Amino acid sequence: MTAAREAVRPKTGRVEMRDIVKRFPGVLANSGVCFDVVPGEVHALLGENGAGKSTLMRQLYGMYRPDSGQIIVDGTVRNFRSPADAIAAGIGMIHQHFMLVPTMTVAQNVALGLPSGRGPFTDTKGVSKEVTRLGNEYGLKVDPDAFVWQLSVGEQQRVEIIKALYRGAGLVILDEPTAVLTPQEVEDLFTTFRTMLTEGHSLIFISHKLYEVKAISDRVTVLRDGQVVGSGRTCDLSQQDLVHMMVGREVKDPDPRPHTPGPELVKMQGLKAMGDRGLEALRGIDLSIRSGEILGLAGVSGNGQKELAECLAGMRKLSSGKLLVEGHDMTNATVNERFDRGMAFIPEERMRDGAIREFTVGENVFLHDHMSKRFRRWIFLSFDRMREHALSLVELFSVKTPSLEVPIKNLSGGNIQKLIMARELSRDPFFLVAAQPTRGVDIGASEYIHDSLLAQREKGMAILLISEDLDELRGLSDRIAVMYEGGIIGIVDRGSSTVEELGFMMAGVTLEQMRKDGASTGKACP
Amino acid sequence: MKGLFSLNVLTGVLNSMIALATPFLYAAIGETFAQTAGVVNLGVDGIMLLAAFGAFFVTLMTGNLWLGLLAAAAIGLAMGLIMALISVTLKAEQGVSGIGLYMFGLGMSSLLFKVLVGTVKTVQGFQPVSIPILSTIPFIGPILFNNSVLVYGAFLLVPLAWVVLEKTNLGLKFKAVGQNPAAADSLGINVVAIRYLAVCIGAILAGIAGASLSISLLNLFQDDLTSGQGFIAVALVYFGGWSPIGVLGGALLFSAVNSIQLWMQVLGVNLPASVAVMLPYILTIVALMMTANRARQPAALNKPFDRSEN
Amino acid sequence: MNVKRIAIAVTMIVTIVLGVAAAPLRIAVIMPSATTDLAFSQSMWSALLTVQKEMGGESALVLKYTDNMFKVPDAAAAIRDYAGQGFDLVIAHGSQYGSSVQDVAPDFPETTFAWGTDVNTFGMANVYAYTAAAEQGGYVNGVIAAMLTKSKKVGVTGPIEVGDAKTYIDGFVQGVQSVSKSIAVAKTWTGSFSDVALMTTAAKTHIASGADILTGSSQSVVGSIGAAKDNGKVLWFGTQADQASLSPKLVVASQVYDWTGMLREIIAEHQKGTFGGKTYVLELAGSGLKIAFNPGYALPANVRKAADTAISGIIKGTIKVQP
Repeated sequence: MTAAREAVRPKTGRVEMRDIVKRFPGVLANSGVCFDVVPGEVHALLGENGAGKSTLMRQLYGMYRPDSGQIIVDGTVRNFRSPADAIAAGIGMIHQHFMLVPTMTVAQNVALGLPSGRGPFTDTKGVSKEVTRLGNEYGLKVDPDAFVWQLSVGEQQRVEIIKALYRGAGLVILDEPTAVLTPQEVEDLFTTFRTMLTEGHSLIFISHKLYEVKAISDRVTVLRDGQVVGSGRTCDLSQQDLVHMMVGREVKDPDPRPHTPGPELVKMQGLKAMGDRGLEALRGIDLSIRSGEILGLAGVSGNGQKELAECLAGMRKLSSGKLLVEGHDMTNATVNERFDRGMAFIPEERMRDGAIREFTVGENVFLHDHMSKRFRRWIFLSFDRMREHALSLVELFSVKTPSLEVPIKNLSGGNIQKLIMARELSRDPFFLVAAQPTRGVDIGASEYIHDSLLAQREKGMAILLISEDLDELRGLSDRIAVMYEGGIIGIVDRGSSTVEELGFMMAGVTLEQMRKDGASTGKACP
Repeated sequence: MKGLFSLNVLTGVLNSMIALATPFLYAAIGETFAQTAGVVNLGVDGIMLLAAFGAFFVTLMTGNLWLGLLAAAAIGLAMGLIMALISVTLKAEQGVSGIGLYMFGLGMSSLLFKVLVGTVKTVQGFQPVSIPILSTIPFIGPILFNNSVLVYGAFLLVPLAWVVLEKTNLGLKFKAVGQNPAAADSLGINVVAIRYLAVCIGAILAGIAGASLSISLLNLFQDDLTSGQGFIAVALVYFGGWSPIGVLGGALLFSAVNSIQLWMQVLGVNLPASVAVMLPYILTIVALMMTANRARQPAALNKPFDRSEN
Repeated sequence: MNVKRIAIAVTMIVTIVLGVAAAPLRIAVIMPSATTDLAFSQSMWSALLTVQKEMGGESALVLKYTDNMFKVPDAAAAIRDYAGQGFDLVIAHGSQYGSSVQDVAPDFPETTFAWGTDVNTFGMANVYAYTAAAEQGGYVNGVIAAMLTKSKKVGVTGPIEVGDAKTYIDGFVQGVQSVSKSIAVAKTWTGSFSDVALMTTAAKTHIASGADILTGSSQSVVGSIGAAKDNGKVLWFGTQADQASLSPKLVVASQVYDWTGMLREIIAEHQKGTFGGKTYVLELAGSGLKIAFNPGYALPANVRKAADTAISGIIKGTIKVQP
């Protein structure tokens, strides 16, 4: 198809969004936002969750239509009715959740929706050739005939970028593209970006990660509550400036005081379990956590962290190994037995495993405590006592909710997470598994959650903190274990490792190998 | 077991298998299109019934079989549009809408039959057409190449559907809206339009399945003529793993076993009749257990698409 | 004041009396298949229409039906509904409706319930049971079939091995064997009363195995008749209703259920104030069962004579057919 051949020369020049207003029922998502990009630049869009970044970009990509305001491409006012129009205008978008069809091949995903050179038939060979060519040109290596489900997250992202390039996108919108990548993959991605820029593409880069914004962008615009609160050249702004704009105040790095851990509370011995696809997801995990200790668990998603958390919570069966909590064998304990023994969980999929969307805030507080004697009167629930307890939790953890009666799905991610945290901690557990506790949570709530974790540590709780955010792990953990392909590839003490070292382990390189080949793999370490 | 393994029985089984499989193939391959695009249409049996009546009635009135077939396709299209409207545009629960469509087809075909025809009558249906040369091949010639056009059509539909689903851009779009409608939408594919198209193709084929009963294989209409064949067709789609080839395998297996069990009864094989009639179902379930492959299941099956929810 | 009261009372009485006198008898029937099935349901419906004509049309007898009640709970609801509406006679025309009748009848002692085919009135005074001695006509059909078959192979296409579908076929086999023990009778059951496609295949299977005569019961036998017609040489014997219209040249004879006699008697009893408590069995003897010879088929005289002998033998009791 001709679009593919033209891909080399981006079509889009200057893109401008003027006074964009977009309302959703009960929310003003964008109010009078102005934003522009010129060819050859990276314009970063920064803001907390719910600031209106994705909504703004979805309007530029034709997925939503603005209530008012203009989108101007190359001096012409455009009215995009669907992504097809935006694509035709040379705009591409890489979504946070990849828009790929897993059961189709890379080439088929790329060709999807475009006319083919072979009439009604798919031109698989032609597209494959073009995918390979684009891959070589932009450093996006991927097998065009592989099925998408076979690909790693990083490869999938490359497919997404190839899709945009194949469609001749001059401007590419990237919605948190680095969220799921290892530091090495991020570096490769940035190299691709630089190639694209020299070819005359322009990029809009949405991110939470300040150092990445500083590293790659030319200009930065910060959104808060649907409005632009600041904009300027990146080199003129410090990280502190940006954070200040995003949250309206300074964020302090959590910095736990030195601490001497108590006795060993949790012992995992050779834990093994199968994953959803029938492959072994845990290949023998040996870890121990002591009282008053936070053990961080790092790793690129899909290396078994999720399965380990599920095994600890009793939601997945262990095929072998032993789990001891305070000396009690909890290997085959039911979920309730685990609760009774003082274990608590903050699940990764908070809306799937941690709360029931349609239930009210109050009801969600009592998802498992409704059987407790405290809240029971004979066989009936004591709603008064439950209400009192729920209100005190909401207050204590400053959960922002209009009342206990609203469905929990109406709360923001941060407030839902605070509520789950409050619920789990209110049972005074001594072992907490927190899986991605601050993912998709705004900075204010993250900070609150971090403070709570540290406070519990002070009280002597054993905490397993599973996270993909290295800053969070390094800030909170006493020790950090790195998972790779279902095993623990290394454990480092607090403060004794760099982000780069963790990144290498996450990519499967052990500390010994790293020290040995330090010189040859040093490229990624700036 | 006397005589069960004779040429006569083999010929009979093959003949019956081809006849029994014909309506299943149309209906199940049609349903494959709908499900590939993410819509479970449980109304197949209802569409078959109303279309079977339509084909029968038009043929009875005009004597023109092609007009009858056209009527069946038109009824299928109309009911497909209703199904798509309810499940795609209005985003109603697909299972419930499908059952509603089935009950509508069952009741309406029965009512129209009573009012317009009144009693069981027969028509002269599509007659077998011998294909020159091929039909003279010994043994298999008369079995395979001396059938009515609708039988040929059903078997030609299999490779045709396979090519459409696996080798064309349209097929990619069907799969994309069934697997990840948000992804299709992000590439500018009109998810709603593609789902309408898939549901309507499926419904038209279900209509032809009905016609294959009333004006080709049985040449009559009666209340509940399909007797649940549409539901078997839906099951065959799962059995076939959403592939036309798999559907063909399932339809042939089910039909062959059904035909064999009748032969066993005729030849007096010592097996209770109630067990014999269960055989096709038992065997199909066993085969399903052994070959179950959920990996190909359209991930967005049964899920309406709403852009704002992503 | 008094005058007014009397006037009102008189008016009411007159209205009631006139109303009762003018009110036609009301009969409702619930059937498992369609009234046009050329089989079980149609046999009852056409009998009701005949009785209605005899009584002087709709002004004398109101008929209501609910058909295709293959789901028993739906049928139960319909039975209660009709009784509640004050129908004089509610006929539950299916052996699967027995428990529903047993459940509803005690609540409506003034309503006559009739159900079949079965023989159990549950000891209730307002319930009739009725059945057909289908084996008798089956025997006669079997005798004719045995004399007509050239291949010495006869095929039976049945639905489910229960009720009159089974007794008819048992009688048929006895009839065939009374003529010759060397004739093979092969039976198939499709497991469904309505699956025409499978019934057609079953018939074709019989034909392919060499049968030149077919019979069978249920509404799905239209498929068997179609298969016989396609073949062009295979003869058909019907039951429940006269099926000659489906294949005028190949249908030899049909056993016909004639419920009119039974219906007349139930109506007469109802008017006398008896609401049930009896079991009716349709038999050749009481003309409840008839053999309808198809005039379109030239039956050899000797065969016809053998058939008549069998009929009179069964009526006289010299021939015993086991159900």
